[in-house]
Amino acid sequence: MWWRRNRKDKSQAAGEPAGPAQAAGGSPRFLDPDVLARIGSLELLARAVVEGFISGLHRSPFTGFSTEFAEYRQYNAGDDLRYLDWRLLGRTDRYFIKKYRADTNAQVTLLVDTSGSMGYAGAVGGLTKLRYAQFLAAALAHLAARQQDAVGLVGFGEAIHTHVPALNRTGHMRTIYGRLSALEAGGETRLSRSLHEVAERLTRRGVVILISDFYDEPGRLADAFQHLRFRGHDLIAFHLLDRREVEFDFDDAVLLLEDSETAEQLPVLPDVVADGYRERLTAHVEALRQTCAANRVDYEQVTTDSPLDFALFSFLSRRAGKAK
Amino acid sequence: MSFLNPFFLLGLAALAAPVLVHLVRRTRARRVEFPALYFVRQVPQRTIRRRTLRDLLLLALRCLALLLVVFAFTRPFFRGAEAGSSPARGALLTVVLLDASLSMRHAGRFDEAKRRARALVGEAREGERVALLTFAEGFEVVSDFTADAVALRAALAPLSAGYEATDYEQALRGAEALIVKARGAGAKRVLMVSDFQAGGWDASRATFRLGSDVRLALIDVGGDVAPNAAVTNVEARGEIYAQKYEDKLAVHVANFSDDERGPVTLDFQINEQTIEKRELTLAPREHRVVEFTGFNLAEGANRCAVRLRSEDFAPDNDFYFTLGREAQSKALIIDGAGRGDSFYLRSALAAGGGLPFTFDVRGAAAVDPAAIAGHSLVILNDAGAAPGALSESVTRFVESGGRLVIAAGPNTRPESFNSAFGRVAPLRLGEAVLLQRGDTVALTGVKNSHPIFDVFRDGGRLPSARVFGYVRGEPRAGASVLATFEDGSPALVESGAGAGRVLLYTSTLGMSWSDLPLTPDYLPLVQQMVRYLGERDVSAWHRLGQAFAVTSDAEGRPPAIDAPSGARLKNGEPSRGGETLLTGSEPGFYRLRYAAGHRFAAVNIDGREGDFARLNQEEFLAAFTGGDPDARRSAGAGERESGEEVEARQRVWWPLLVAALLLLAAESMLARRTKVAKMIG
Repeated sequence: MWWRRNRKDKSQAAGEPAGPAQAAGGSPRFLDPDVLARIGSLELLARAVVEGFISGLHRSPFTGFSTEFAEYRQYNAGDDLRYLDWRLLGRTDRYFIKKYRADTNAQVTLLVDTSGSMGYAGAVGGLTKLRYAQFLAAALAHLAARQQDAVGLVGFGEAIHTHVPALNRTGHMRTIYGRLSALEAGGETRLSRSLHEVAERLTRRGVVILISDFYDEPGRLADAFQHLRFRGHDLIAFHLLDRREVEFDFDDAVLLLEDSETAEQLPVLPDVVADGYRERLTAHVEALRQTCAANRVDYEQVTTDSPLDFALFSFLSRRAGKAK
Repeated sequence: MSFLNPFFLLGLAALAAPVLVHLVRRTRARRVEFPALYFVRQVPQRTIRRRTLRDLLLLALRCLALLLVVFAFTRPFFRGAEAGSSPARGALLTVVLLDASLSMRHAGRFDEAKRRARALVGEAREGERVALLTFAEGFEVVSDFTADAVALRAALAPLSAGYEATDYEQALRGAEALIVKARGAGAKRVLMVSDFQAGGWDASRATFRLGSDVRLALIDVGGDVAPNAAVTNVEARGEIYAQKYEDKLAVHVANFSDDERGPVTLDFQINEQTIEKRELTLAPREHRVVEFTGFNLAEGANRCAVRLRSEDFAPDNDFYFTLGREAQSKALIIDGAGRGDSFYLRSALAAGGGLPFTFDVRGAAAVDPAAIAGHSLVILNDAGAAPGALSESVTRFVESGGRLVIAAGPNTRPESFNSAFGRVAPLRLGEAVLLQRGDTVALTGVKNSHPIFDVFRDGGRLPSARVFGYVRGEPRAGASVLATFEDGSPALVESGAGAGRVLLYTSTLGMSWSDLPLTPDYLPLVQQMVRYLGERDVSAWHRLGQAFAVTSDAEGRPPAIDAPSGARLKNGEPSRGGETLLTGSEPGFYRLRYAAGHRFAAVNIDGREGDFARLNQEEFLAAFTGGDPDARRSAGAGERESGEEVEARQRVWWPLLVAALLLLAAESMLARRTKVAKMIG
C-alpha cells in the first residue's frame, strides 16, 4: 500500500533503527497514525485499519464470539414456542427447547474523553490526542461491528454531551462514525464524574472501552471503575498520551506553559523541571495502572505516535484472554 | 538633595537597558499549550522561583548599580538645615583662589579647576561680589571683587597653568589682603581650587592664619596620586677654564611614587648631543644622585640637559643647565726677587690647571707699574718695600676693580707697607711677632662659612699648620677677619677697596714664618683664595620665578633675550652694576643675544612640583582657620555655601561609587551562581 511504502521510505531516510513496528523481513506491519490522518472518512479509516490488521493475523481470534448452541432443556409451559426443537419433537415426540448463548454478541460502548487536554498535539499541526482517540474508537467500533457486537458511543468532557446507545443494526455504524467525527475538544476534565454518569446510563451489561488521557485523581477514578464494574461492565482503558507529554523534551531554555483546559500560564525552565515532571507522570501512570488492576480494568497506555493496530492487537489479546 | 552636574541625570535613561533586556528575555519565552500542567505544577517550584527571584534580584542589582553610578556622576549633595535661606547681614565677599602651579598641568587638572571656578562664579547669588586670584609661588589678582559674572568668566577663560611651584600660604595671604582691602561688612569666604600638593605647604613653618570672619573651603581637583619620576636638581660648576670637566656633576633624580620605577634611561646631553646614558631603576620614594665627570666642553657657553626618559609627567623630566668654558686671565706674583719665596706658591697655583688665572712671577723691582693694569689678579708675596710708582699702580688697580692678595713676611716693613698700601689694605700692620724656637701658633677662629674655607668645612684640617712668625695688625673699618691665630691676632682679613677686593694674610705663604706650604692644607687654601677672588659666581641654572642678572656687553648694552618658547623678551630692569635682571617664567634655555655672540641661561622648574602626594586637608584647614570647624563650614550666619563647597565637603559621590562597585560585584557573583546552577540543572 502506498502509505506503507511511504512509511518505510521515511524511516530509512531518517536512519531510524528497526523498531517493533517492523517485521524481521523489514516490511511495516502496522499503520502509521500520521498516514491515517490523511484519510478523511472515519469509516474508511476504520475499515482499512481493521481489515489490514485482521489480514495480518495468523489465527482469527473471532471464533469464540460467534452465536452457538448451548444446551437443551425440557419445555415448560410459557416457553416461547419459537425456540422449540421441532425436529427433535418429530423424531422423539418429546418437547425440548434449544438454548443458545444469548450474550455472545456483546454490547460495546466507546467512551471518548473530549476534555480540553485531549486537543493537545505535541508538534505543531500534529495529531491531537482526540483525533487519535477518534481513529482508535472508529477502528474498535468497526472491529466490534464486524463480529456483530452492538456498538454505542459516549462523548464527554465536563459532562456527557454525546450519547449514541449501543445497537447492532444496519446504518448504526454510520451514526457512530458521524457522531465520532463531530467530537471536539474543550472544557475541563470531569472524568470520574462522567464515568459515574455513564454507569447510570448504561442499563445493559457490556464492554465499556474508555479512551482518555486520565487527568484525574486515581482515587476518584477507582470509585468510578467500581461503579461500572458493579453494573457488570467489562472495562477497557486506553490511556492516551502524546509523546511530548511523556518525555517532556523541549529545546527552549524558558517556556511559558499554558494549561489546555484552564488557560493558566506557568513559566518554566524545561531543563530544570523535566525530571521532576517525568517522575510525577510515571507515578501517576503507575497509580492508574494499579487502580485499574485492582478493579479488573484492562489498562493500555498508548501514545499518539503508536500505530493503531498496535492498540487493536493489545485489545484483542486481552479480549481473547478473557474469552478462554 | 541637589546635584552639581544635573545633566548627568540623563544617564538615568540607561536604566532602561537592563529592564529592556529583562523584558526582551521574557518575551522570548515561547508560550506553549500543555495539558499536563498539573504535574509541572507539582514539581517543586522552589528552583524556578528561586531563579526567578534571582533574576529579579539581578535586575534590581543592575538597576541599582546603574542608578548609583548615575547619581555619583551628578555629584549630589545635601544642604543642611542651616544652609541657606536666612538673609545675609551684608554683601558676601568671595575670593576664588585658582591654583595655576606646574602640577596643575597634569592630566587636565587646570581645565577641571577652571570648570569648577566657573561653576562657583555661576552660583554667586544676588549682590555677592567675587574676586579671582591665581596662585603658584606667588599670587596674581585676575579680577578684583565684582558682581559681574560675565566679566569673571571672561577673565577666567584665557588662564592657563604655569611652571611655578606652589605656595598655599602666599595664596591665602593674597586672598586675605584682598578681603581686607575691600572692607566688606558681610560674610567673607575663600574658595581654594587646587590639587593640594603636600609640597605646597610646610606645616612646621606655618605662621599665617586667616581672619576669624573668613571662611575657607577647599575644592579638590587632584584626583588620584599619579606616579612620577623627575630630575630635581643638578649640581655643577657653571664655568670652568679647562677643556675637560674634572669635577663631579651631580644629577638628582627622584621617584615620587610608592612603586618601583624602571628601568628608565637618563640622557646627558651637551649642545643637544647625547654624551652619556645611564639606566636607572628607582626604588619607591627614592632620591638618587647620579654623577657624570670627565667630559669635554667646547669653548664658550655649552647648553647641557639631563633628560629622564619616563612616560609620566613630562615637564619635570628635563633639567637644563649651562657649562661655560672660559679663557684664563693673567695674574702677577710679585715677591722679593731671587729669594725663591714664591716657589711653593707658584707650584701650588700651577697644580690642577682649573684656576681662572695664568701666573707670572716677578721681583718687585722688575715689575713695570704700567703693566699692572693688564692683569686681573696681583699677589704681593712678601714683596718688601715696593717702589712708589708700583704701589700707586697697585692701589689704582685695586680701586678700579682689581683683585689683590697680600702675604706678609720678614721683608715686609709695616710702616712702609702701611704708607704704600694703606688705602686698599684691609689691615693696618703692626709689630711683627717671631716666636721662640719650638713655639708655634695655629690658625683658629676660621670663618667656615666663607667660600675660601668650603673645602675645609668637613675635614677641619687647617689648624694643623704651625706658624712661628706673623704680623699683628688692626683691621680697618669694613674689613672682615676670616681667620685668626691662637692669640687672637688676625691671620686672614678681607675687605673691599673701591671696586676691587683684597685678601691679606699676616704670615708668609712661603717657608719663612710657617710650615704651611708643607701641609696638605696649603694647596687648597691658596687655590681657594685665588679662586674666590678670580672666579665669577656663575650659576649653571636658575630656578624658575627667581631673578638673575644678565651682564651687558663691553659697550654696556644689554643683550636681546629670547625665551625658550622663542618669544623675544622686553629689556628687564637694569641693576646697579649695569646688569639686567631677568626672571625666568618658563623652563628651558634663554638665549642672550650679544653683538659678539650668543650666551645662554638655563631655567628650571622646582623639582617639588613633580611630587603629587596630597596634603592633609583637615590639618591644612585647621592650620589656616584656627581649627574651628565652623570657620570652614559656615562662617557667616547668613552665608550660604556654594554647591561646589558643599559637594567638596560631603563627597557623596564617593560612597555612591563604592556602593555601585559592591553591587556590581554582588551581581557578578549572583549571576555566576545562577549560571552554574543552570548548567548543572
